[in-house]
Amino acid sequence: MKKYLKYIIGLLIIGIGSGAYMYYKPHQNIKASKAEVSLSAAEVFQAFESDETAANEEYLDKIMAVSGTVRDVSKNEEGIVSVTLDAGQDMFGVICQLDQLTQHAREDFPIGEKVNFKGVCTGMLMDVVLVRCVETN
Amino acid sequence: MKQFLLGLCLFMTVGLSQAEAQKYFTREGKISFYSDTPVEKIEAHNQKATCVLDVASGKMEFAVLVKAFQFEKALMQEHFNENYMESGTYPKSIFKGQIANAADVDLSKDGTYDVTVEGELTIHGIAKTVSTPGQITVAGDKISATAKFETQPEDHGIKIPSVVRKNIAKIVEIDVNVALEPFKK
Repeated sequence: MKKYLKYIIGLLIIGIGSGAYMYYKPHQNIKASKAEVSLSAAEVFQAFESDETAANEEYLDKIMAVSGTVRDVSKNEEGIVSVTLDAGQDMFGVICQLDQLTQHAREDFPIGEKVNFKGVCTGMLMDVVLVRCVETN
Repeated sequence: MKQFLLGLCLFMTVGLSQAEAQKYFTREGKISFYSDTPVEKIEAHNQKATCVLDVASGKMEFAVLVKAFQFEKALMQEHFNENYMESGTYPKSIFKGQIANAADVDLSKDGTYDVTVEGELTIHGIAKTVSTPGQITVAGDKISATAKFETQPEDHGIKIPSVVRKNIAKIVEIDVNVALEPFKK
């Protein structure tokens, strides 16, 4: 019996350890992750506007690289910055909400500048919304 | 004829802008939810809710993308999206309803008004009729609104395995906080 005890204890430690590891698993590091799709803001918007169901199936939860010109920048009371990219529409565009878990080189984007972001595509309400965005070159 | 058309255009523009002035909107609404049990505290936040309020009729609508909710723990977020909300199939949650006592809100006077919001809350593809208290604060041409909803996962067809049932609150609280601006093109 004593012989098995140390194996049982060993297994227990591994079990608890891997359980804790799963529980405290960190969020995906967007900066270090590769974009799965790369599109312009106008293309993303078009895809969602023409067939939302198909676009959801194709893009939801994917890390998307998106490029476009800055149309609007806003900061909410918690200091979360959102950049709206022009998608060739008069009212709506592609909103990139900057990641709260990443240190950003800048949070100030002049309107009209061409920028590139990558982030997680979450779908479309009025605009297409990407969260956890980081700027790329 | 030309003058008549011009007059008509002018008349329509004025009419339109008046109708629009009654509408308030935001795309930066904040929606959070809280599940509090002795075993585990779960909360998630979303800062990208849209909300449209038509003051004249008291009709309001807000929508939120389920995948844009951010959790403290990655594993919780994964379970929330994949096992419970099935956000790949049901990417949005929507509330459509109206302020029952819209007449009590006086937009020309700054202040805080207590309101009751009634309507249909659609989560996980299943709509449920709800009625909940809220507050509307008028400050100049800006309106902010808050409301608290209480809902049960089971009411929206969300199945929670019995092993983890005690980790998730029977009644989940949803907090809505929006700052609205006049809708203009």
